[in-house]
Amino acid sequence: MRRVIFKTYRRLALVGALVASGLAVAALPGAASAGASGGVITVGTLYANTGSFATSSMPEYAGLQFWVKQVNAAGGMYVAPLKKKEQVKLVSFNDQSDPATATTLYNQLLTQNKVNVFVADFGSVLTAPAVTIAKDQKHLLFDITGSGTSFFSSGPNPYVVLTSLPVSAVWPKPVVGLLSSLKIKRVAILYCQNDFDQAQAAAIQGFLSKEGLKPVYFQGVPTTQSDYSTIVQAIKGTNPQAVLEFGYPNNDIAFLNQLKSTNTHFNFVLTPFPGQLPTLFQQDVGAKALDWGYTYAVPPILKINQVNIGLGLNQFLAKFAPGKESSVNFLNVAGYNAGLAIQAAFAHATSMSQLGIRAGLTAVNGKLQTLEGTFALNKAGAQVGELLPVSQMVPAGSGFAYKIVYPATPAQKAMVNATAKYPAPKA
Amino acid sequence: MPLALVVAVLASGPALYNNLAFLTTLAIYILLAQGVNVVYGFTGYLPFGYVGFFGAGIYGSSLAITYWHVGGYAAIGLGAATSIIAGLILSPLLRLSGAYFALATLAASQALYFIVANESWTFGESGMSLPLLFSPTALYAISVVAVALTLIVILLVRDSHFGLSLRAIRSDPVSAAMAGVNVVRTRTLAWLLSAALAGVAGALWAMMTSAFYAETPFDLTISVYAIVFALFGGVRTVIGPVLGTIVLYSLYQYIGISNPQYFELIYGLLIVLLVLFLPGGLTSLVGGRGDRPAWWNWVLRRRSAHGDLTPEGRSS
Repeated sequence: MRRVIFKTYRRLALVGALVASGLAVAALPGAASAGASGGVITVGTLYANTGSFATSSMPEYAGLQFWVKQVNAAGGMYVAPLKKKEQVKLVSFNDQSDPATATTLYNQLLTQNKVNVFVADFGSVLTAPAVTIAKDQKHLLFDITGSGTSFFSSGPNPYVVLTSLPVSAVWPKPVVGLLSSLKIKRVAILYCQNDFDQAQAAAIQGFLSKEGLKPVYFQGVPTTQSDYSTIVQAIKGTNPQAVLEFGYPNNDIAFLNQLKSTNTHFNFVLTPFPGQLPTLFQQDVGAKALDWGYTYAVPPILKINQVNIGLGLNQFLAKFAPGKESSVNFLNVAGYNAGLAIQAAFAHATSMSQLGIRAGLTAVNGKLQTLEGTFALNKAGAQVGELLPVSQMVPAGSGFAYKIVYPATPAQKAMVNATAKYPAPKA
Repeated sequence: MPLALVVAVLASGPALYNNLAFLTTLAIYILLAQGVNVVYGFTGYLPFGYVGFFGAGIYGSSLAITYWHVGGYAAIGLGAATSIIAGLILSPLLRLSGAYFALATLAASQALYFIVANESWTFGESGMSLPLLFSPTALYAISVVAVALTLIVILLVRDSHFGLSLRAIRSDPVSAAMAGVNVVRTRTLAWLLSAALAGVAGALWAMMTSAFYAETPFDLTISVYAIVFALFGGVRTVIGPVLGTIVLYSLYQYIGISNPQYFELIYGLLIVLLVLFLPGGLTSLVGGRGDRPAWWNWVLRRRSAHGDLTPEGRSS
């Protein structure tokens, strides 16, 4: 009899476990019931508060949260099809920098939360699943920094919008202009084997070949590369006039530290990320090692205050981090800028359908001036307006200052505030 | 009967919760947990680098779709074939055992990752971008069919001479060899079956995700989850890995939505508690196999102290 009772207990325990899991599944839609409801426009997004993308994702997320706060404080966002302002609700989940988790959570935002539009997490790796879902479910995605060329290379696509940063291949155009103006012929190019860096390296190679030039060094390394000792010696052996290193922040830091530790001097060194993450580079590389180097100028280095939507850069800095303006980085601006793109889309939307909201952006394409510059999209949804000038890091006191030395567009000529110091003085 | 129930539950999944990406991923993890079950549960070899087979299946199917424009079903077959080839190449690892085998498979999966991530013909730099071959609903249906077929295969393996041989090898390879079991061949077949399951799972994942970079398919957390799900449900059984995956992956999703800021903390604590109190896996609750849960031992001790039971749990 007792055995029967024990068997029953055990079975009950199993049933309990099954019921618990069933409840977990059944509770999922309920847990996410904060979707689009009357009087609220819901914006879904993911962030990574742990993992390899956390340091980039969280500042971007903070920028987007700031936009929501600003727009709601102003009484809401104007929604043209409804002819009234609506409050904005941000629905966000933590993907832990894991693209597989991101896939299910992006779907969660669309199928359960039923958000009006959604915003991708930082970078191409975490944006990739969102692009698939946006195309598949025909839902409008605002991609902040996922500039992978494969996202925008399959023809016209109304469902993905790149809000910050042009596609990778467009970035180096002003670098070539600067090299040409400095009469530099011998160029060494080192790049990491990923979409972002390889596209830039290939673009420079293409631009140089149009002028009949061939890089004296053209080498790809894995994105995980952290030891540049032999590479630096190999580059030195080619006697280049300019060295262009295209990597992610960790690669740039390792490369610059290698130059510092071996006391290697080149007359022209360009790395992409010191302009985006100045605090990190000052801390990990040191101001002296960055002196006279070149990088892309992005906000807040690029101070754009003439805007026709949202805050100008100075206002943004003052309101986003009062008293700590120097701590604001590009990713904060990029998150806020994505919000402005959403705001413009709804303000000019022709209907509340996904294509109707997208039509709102088409209506203002090339006319929108944000704190990142001219917002312009091509037919594939890639950003082609917010082009980045080149800046040089010039010693100033115990640190350095960014000086814009070459514009990316004729309109940016007014922003140039120094002449490139070439060859770079030895420390 | 339980297998029919599992398939029925999975088939009715979209009616309960229509996040098809979640449900398809759940089915994919069931396949992976079953793969771990075959190689670890039946032979005792713990493959920490199991994700290597998953990645091989993803890239085998994706490259076939990209270069040869094959259809979805052919891609699944080619994904499995690629993983089997990877399994054959790595089969010498079976000469190792214990931690050495686990670490060697881990290293092998990382080697595969670096090859794929750094070659242009594998789109390691630009990322893979596939056309959509199936609608999400169709892909989920295919995933459920794959799970059903896998469960039948595992059931046949478990109850076959081959399954008996595997269990004999797990208990004592030397004795098994003395009894006439071809240890090398039997173990290799289990290894390849496990690889094939990961390959099918990989092909399904590739078609679901369609745009990805190499770090995602070769992410080691995929191995960890497959192993944890299998162990939590209970290895050496057919139903255990299925239950383990359904319970833990559903909780994973639930916590990720309800408490996103404490995601890892809550999920980690939960796994620690579950392992402490259910060391033999969920299937040990129904008895007949595995370790007794700690709470059950406590109940038995209490009853024993009152003279109702012997310490072993038998009626006095």
